[in-house]
Amino acid sequence: MKEFITGNHAVARAVRLCRTPLIAAYPITPQTPIYEKLSEWEASGELKGIMMRTESEHSAMASCIAASLTGVRTFTATSSQGLALMHEMLHFAAGCRVPVVMANVNRLLAAPWGFWADQQDSLSQRDTGWIQLYCENGQESLDTVIQAYRIAEQVFLPAMICLEAFVVSHFMEPVEIPDQVQVDRFLPPLNLPHRFDIDKPGYLVPVVPPELYRKYKHMSQTSMNSVKEIADRVDREFREEFGRGYGIIEPVMLEDAEIVIVTSGSITSTARIAIKTLRGQGHKVGLLKIRLFRPFPVEAIQHSLQGKKKIAVIDRNISLGSGGIFCQELRAALVHSSDHPLTFSYIAGIGGTDVDPEIIEKIALDAMKRGEPVDTPIWIMD
Amino acid sequence: MEIEHDVSSELVIPISYGSSEVIETGKWGFEKPEAAFMTAPCQEVCPAGNPIPQFLYFAGEGRYQEALEAILNENPFPGVCGRVCFHPCEKDCNRIQYDEAVSIHALERRVFDATSSHAPGIPPLSSSVNAKRIAVVGAGPAGLSAACFLRRLGYRVTLFEARKELGGVMRWGIPEYRLPKSIVKKEIKRILQLSIDVKTGVKVGKEFFFRELDRFDAVFLSPGAGSSLSLGIEGEDLKKVWRGGDFLNRINSGGKIKIGKEVIVIGGGNTAMDVARSALRLGSKVTVAYRRTRAEMPAIQDEIHEAEQEGVRFEFLLQPVKISLLKNNKVRVKFQRMKLWGKDRSKRPKAIPVEGSTLTRDADRLIQAVGEGVDLSWIPETVGQNGLIDVNLSLATSHPKIFAGGDAVDQPRTIVTAIGAGKKAAIAIDLYLRGHHPNGVFSRIRVGKRGALSMEAYLSGRNEGTWSQPKEVISYPQLHTLYFEHSQRVEMSKLDRMTALKDFSEVNLGLTREEARISALRCFSCGTCNYCYNCYFFCPEGVVTLDPQRRIRTVDLEHCKGCGTCAKVCPRNGVVMKEAG
Repeated sequence: MKEFITGNHAVARAVRLCRTPLIAAYPITPQTPIYEKLSEWEASGELKGIMMRTESEHSAMASCIAASLTGVRTFTATSSQGLALMHEMLHFAAGCRVPVVMANVNRLLAAPWGFWADQQDSLSQRDTGWIQLYCENGQESLDTVIQAYRIAEQVFLPAMICLEAFVVSHFMEPVEIPDQVQVDRFLPPLNLPHRFDIDKPGYLVPVVPPELYRKYKHMSQTSMNSVKEIADRVDREFREEFGRGYGIIEPVMLEDAEIVIVTSGSITSTARIAIKTLRGQGHKVGLLKIRLFRPFPVEAIQHSLQGKKKIAVIDRNISLGSGGIFCQELRAALVHSSDHPLTFSYIAGIGGTDVDPEIIEKIALDAMKRGEPVDTPIWIMD
Repeated sequence: MEIEHDVSSELVIPISYGSSEVIETGKWGFEKPEAAFMTAPCQEVCPAGNPIPQFLYFAGEGRYQEALEAILNENPFPGVCGRVCFHPCEKDCNRIQYDEAVSIHALERRVFDATSSHAPGIPPLSSSVNAKRIAVVGAGPAGLSAACFLRRLGYRVTLFEARKELGGVMRWGIPEYRLPKSIVKKEIKRILQLSIDVKTGVKVGKEFFFRELDRFDAVFLSPGAGSSLSLGIEGEDLKKVWRGGDFLNRINSGGKIKIGKEVIVIGGGNTAMDVARSALRLGSKVTVAYRRTRAEMPAIQDEIHEAEQEGVRFEFLLQPVKISLLKNNKVRVKFQRMKLWGKDRSKRPKAIPVEGSTLTRDADRLIQAVGEGVDLSWIPETVGQNGLIDVNLSLATSHPKIFAGGDAVDQPRTIVTAIGAGKKAAIAIDLYLRGHHPNGVFSRIRVGKRGALSMEAYLSGRNEGTWSQPKEVISYPQLHTLYFEHSQRVEMSKLDRMTALKDFSEVNLGLTREEARISALRCFSCGTCNYCYNCYFFCPEGVVTLDPQRRIRTVDLEHCKGCGTCAKVCPRNGVVMKEAG
């Protein structure tokens, strides 16, 4: 059944469908509607779990970690400054191997102040050891929450799903609400081992010698690496159950493409329009959407971009002093492929600025003209 | 490829099943938390120094036996005080500044009532048997309290009582509807179980010469104030004019009394209220005439209020000047109208006559209750002064081994003050017999600064003869009220007016079990630990251990980093951070 709802409410709906018993969160624009909706359902009894209203995002994450260690599914949602405040606990969550699922509504980071769509917040948490998935719209946000639990609970790693402020979080669209029976089948009740056992008392996060620390990190990396395959399989299984899927990356009209636009999140939808226009003008343009960012699906990307000559990566973020972060990752992924393509970094949509089809067309045409590598990012300023 | 996770292994999540105790984190900090219990203002203002937060804690937990023991340690009369005390504790309750005072008075009664069926005894305070003998003259609240504490300290006590039964004002003064005799009997019985030599019907100075008291190592005089003061006006000796004390005495002796349709009561103290309300119960219409206004009445506010509720009429600013007998056998009282003007020596507004303004009132009976005096005829002259027995701050008279307290000395005439005096005298006598000067000791064992002494504090240093500094009194701003929730005070239910006036049945019905529980849990436990577990829950190190059953709170100092969280989160300011030694 379809419902006309916002991206935030789609996320909240997914959490309810996943029967998450413990939600700990702190409100922040533009994530607040998720918090409010879950609170509303808690009050009405439609949400069986507990909405724990913590005094900060740091505590919200600490609560999720502790709850998860008692063996239950947990959820939190935040954005921007909230995520930044959570930073320390993000490392703890990953290090404690708790499959916490978080929705982060991508909002710019201060200063200066603002509320608008920008991936800087979640990408700044790139190295905290969290799985990261970027969603294109409300439907994908809902579905990705469900998938994220399936993935995270297999590998004992926390997962963050990202949707952009307003353009996804507050944008209303018809969203197919999965049937509860199907969700229950896809995501059976959680049977995590109880890490807190009164018959076997232990304490978490002990001081460890250097070699042991290294070992933990090595194991985490092994697990993280396995996510590429697991996430892909989970998505296929999801498609079997619900008839929808997204892949960890999505190639669009790549077979004959001479130039490939690479996007993530909501800009992908716009790019789908733009490449149609460009194709109509006779340009062989393809599109590659990156959905799984951590772990970075290196093999899948190498495979899909094999033999391509030019790539234009559009980033709604920037690593100051370097360039677009997706572009950095992509370049690194392709560095060992033979005859690797010219990869341009375009910065567009920073601070919530609009990225309309014309801008994407302009980027494609600009990239087509260029024959030489450019090491610095190219800013789209109109 | 799906990796196999051995999720129970320490090698997947960083968990240790060893112990972190080997890491002496306690060495990292500079400060350590210390339990710094303080005196609650309710306890300070209680003349008997009742351990109020302590007994309320037990009551809230339903541990009434322990609640009773806590009170008995400082006051042998919870049943009496829970009924007739003027409960200044509630006026000074910190909770008043938050919402409403805790129902301390009703809860004290509840503690007695809940335990009275199995009547637990009073434990001795000292295991040492003392051959020294002490005489207590007068078995009212002061005498019984002194006898009780002296006996518990190991002395051999002989109690002299002129009347046939013990209890003094509790037995012969306060009417049944306020204080049933069965309650007084039970509490006295508990004291006598300590094995006290009782001589009833023996009036010192008559059946037993005063000088014979010399055989004792120390003497405590607590004869009370048993003789009604005279009005000093014409007609006072008419048969139709009674004295309040005599009237109450007759009521409490069980005799039948006829007092007529209309009764005028003169006076504004507790005796006047007891007289007025008793007269109502005998079927009379009662008017109380008082020479000042309601605000100056020395009676307990609750008593005045209850008298009003029951239908006693009040006429203020009236001073009787003449009483005469009318032909129809009624008495006529001529009153001088008064007005308030200036202040007297005790800073109370003074009543002065309004020149030329008089009026008369007729009644079937006049009962005057304008105060009680002390019969000093049997006491050596050197010991008395201004109609009272003269004592210093430690209740010692000019005679080295004679002490005195209760209504016969210059102190507020309330039951609880008398009980406190009994305790103070017991300590003073003990110090005297052990060769200590009381002054240095009293300043160490005081409960705050308003006169009450703590027997618990006294015993803590009695063996060594040294006492630590007394606890400070905690004020409202020192509480962390963030942790409290607002709640309503529960009042005792009462007999309805019609039922109450039918006979002398007890008017106040006490709290139900549930009302008592809710009321006791309202106590902030100012300055003491009530095992709220805040420190336990908030301690980031998990080094706090609480044992509410044994009332122990411990901190593992070897692992406490001294962060001070426990001190910050204690709602009652019971923890302070001190520099580590």
